[in-house]
Amino acid sequence: MSTILESSRAIPFRQVLDPTGKVVDKDLMPKLTDDQLRELMRRMVFIRVMDQRAIKLTRQGRLGFYAPVAGQEASMIGSEFATTKEDFILPGYRDVPQLLFHGWPMYQWILFSRGHQHGSDMPKDVNVLMPQIIIGAQYVQTAGTALAFKLKGEKRVAITYTGDGGTSQGDFYEGINFAGAYQVPAVFVVQNNQFAISVPVRLQTAAETLAQKAVAAGIPGVQVDGNDILAVYAVVKEAVDRAREGGGPTLIEAVTFRFGPHTMSGDDPTRYRTKELENEWEQKDPLVRFRNYLQSKGLWSEKDEEAAMEESKEAFNDALKKADAVPKMTIPSLIDSMFEVLPDSLKAQRAEYSEKEEA
Amino acid sequence: MALYEFRLPELGEGLHEGRIEKWLVKVGDMVQEDDAIAEVENDKAMVELPSPVTGKVAKIHVEAGNTAVVGDVLVTFEVEGEGNVSADAQSAAAAAPAETNQAATPAAQTTAAPAAAAQPAAGASVSHAREVLATPGVRKFAREQGVDITQVQGTGPNGKITREDVEAFLKGGTQAPADTAPAAETKTSTAKAGTVAVTGEEVEERVPLPGIRKIIAQAMARSKYTAPHVTVMDEANVTELVKLRAEIKPLAADRGVKITYLPFIVKAMVAALRDFPELNSSLDDERQELVYKRYFHIGIATDTERGLVVPVVRHADKKNMWTVAAEINDLATRARSNKLMPNEMKGSTISITNIGSAGGMFFTPIINYPEVAILGVGRITERPIIQNGEVVPAHMMALSLSFDHRVIDGALAQNFINRLKRLLENPRLLLMEV
Repeated sequence: MSTILESSRAIPFRQVLDPTGKVVDKDLMPKLTDDQLRELMRRMVFIRVMDQRAIKLTRQGRLGFYAPVAGQEASMIGSEFATTKEDFILPGYRDVPQLLFHGWPMYQWILFSRGHQHGSDMPKDVNVLMPQIIIGAQYVQTAGTALAFKLKGEKRVAITYTGDGGTSQGDFYEGINFAGAYQVPAVFVVQNNQFAISVPVRLQTAAETLAQKAVAAGIPGVQVDGNDILAVYAVVKEAVDRAREGGGPTLIEAVTFRFGPHTMSGDDPTRYRTKELENEWEQKDPLVRFRNYLQSKGLWSEKDEEAAMEESKEAFNDALKKADAVPKMTIPSLIDSMFEVLPDSLKAQRAEYSEKEEA
Repeated sequence: MALYEFRLPELGEGLHEGRIEKWLVKVGDMVQEDDAIAEVENDKAMVELPSPVTGKVAKIHVEAGNTAVVGDVLVTFEVEGEGNVSADAQSAAAAAPAETNQAATPAAQTTAAPAAAAQPAAGASVSHAREVLATPGVRKFAREQGVDITQVQGTGPNGKITREDVEAFLKGGTQAPADTAPAAETKTSTAKAGTVAVTGEEVEERVPLPGIRKIIAQAMARSKYTAPHVTVMDEANVTELVKLRAEIKPLAADRGVKITYLPFIVKAMVAALRDFPELNSSLDDERQELVYKRYFHIGIATDTERGLVVPVVRHADKKNMWTVAAEINDLATRARSNKLMPNEMKGSTISITNIGSAGGMFFTPIINYPEVAILGVGRITERPIIQNGEVVPAHMMALSLSFDHRVIDGALAQNFINRLKRLLENPRLLLMEV
């Protein structure tokens, strides 16, 4: 059975490494140094370990909302790696890895997950929005953000993410259409992980690919093997560079798969996915493929792997400690976090709650 | 040595309780942080609970098989260093909120200065209780002029602030109560209609309608304008039928017959028509009588280069599947080479039109008037469906039945489709209809 949108006649499907790690497209191979290649692998291992830990923490009540990322590391990390720190990320709720590597302190992510207002109090030099919970809403925000860059004459790019389900939303179309009409520097990434919670892509759209929706918006669309970090990097880099030089927006569909549930809020993937399908995708694990490639070049060892795992565990422990040490959120502090100048109505509420808390 | 109580966390959105299926540890066991300690079943899934701490299991509070509510203490650990039930920990938690007000809110420090600057005059309060109605253009104008728009009295509809109001506020004079609406109206009404431009690049070509096209056009218009059409759509899980056809294919090749799904559909349709004879009828408008046809002539809409023709499989009920298959092949082949006799395209009692061969799914076919129904067959798609709570692959056939609502009601049509579906889904049942 085929529930998977993978290849298409209308839209190119780009791949550098096949699932075993063999190079299949030399022309698309990005120019990255050995150190950069190793860094990509280090980040994927870091996130895989972090993800496993985060799942456990939600079941201990030590983390709140969490959407597992295992399986999508290449799409997430490869795409972020193609941006600069000045570029602006408008993420969906699963896109925590991109934000962490873009500068969001890990302890603030933990606070965000717990619903603590300080979690979303982004440091000034971290160019990201907090993860968007409304499906697809970040696509319209991205069009606007990118338009601002264009009007200000800044050579910055806005990059956004949604899933396959997000492409069924009106906001998705509005965002890419507006971006196309105004030729703004935006990159729209769709991480097609095959299921919108439990609904397979085939039931969501009659379109053969999600990337082909770019045709209607009049912008370039490309489908990439989302489990091939080199291909993801290459395709996003091309789109980011083009956007930065005034060439307008691009829609990129990264074909991937999440190994875990949709979120830790209680869906059970065994009820909507078959074992066969899961096994099929495990063969395409982004870490296995890239590790094979690096090992064939002598760039990755057992020791490197262990070091990356250790680093992830330590970073998580440190972040947990730091998050636990942050004072509990209070209602007055939540009220203060929103406005620069507090409206009178909120001033009154704030005063009321401050009294209660003191009492 | 301190004690750490582990309470049942919320294991999913809206999940308030969980049943302890099994303890994986017992009192006295040492556990490491993140080790699985229990299996818990809730409404959505079975999950493993990992331990939040490293320590020794001191007490299990909820026995296996029992249900705990979120917040219930499940297990107490003895841990090194600080636990979460010591007196120290509690007082630390209580102290926390007080600190927050000062520490965690950088915004608070900057609040005072800008707020003061925004006040236009001493004592005048900036109340946001009153809504300000103004267009963005007027707001911008006010900002540029340094006017606090909340201080301006609006004279437009519902107190809307106009540009004139802002100007009047600037002059310090009273604001003109002039209603601006009529002025705006006159402006729009003076706009003139544009003249039509002819570019001369729009080439048209007129050709006479070929005879068959004329007939199709008349027949379609007559049917659609006479019979109020309704279409019901449904899907049949034809996984078994697909298998059966695959089995028959080699046999058919031996006989020199091309076996499609159509013969099965024809036979299933005849069976269903016996149960629902209204669909095999026609309406005599003049005499206001319904004519039940006790014979089954099935029209097969066939796409040809010249246009659509509908050859007829006569007495389909009296022919076996092989014969029906051979006849459909023969009629279709001759239709395409324009070798059908006129009487071979007449007298059908109900028709089938197949868009699936061209790839379509659901559509609203037009009835082959004076028949009262037509079955539209869409393509068979292989896709996952949910069966008994499990995702399984299935071949799904799209069915669209258009019917004449003067004769047939929706429920009847759906019952007919249901009957048809049963036969197509369990092709063995067709044995009973031979």
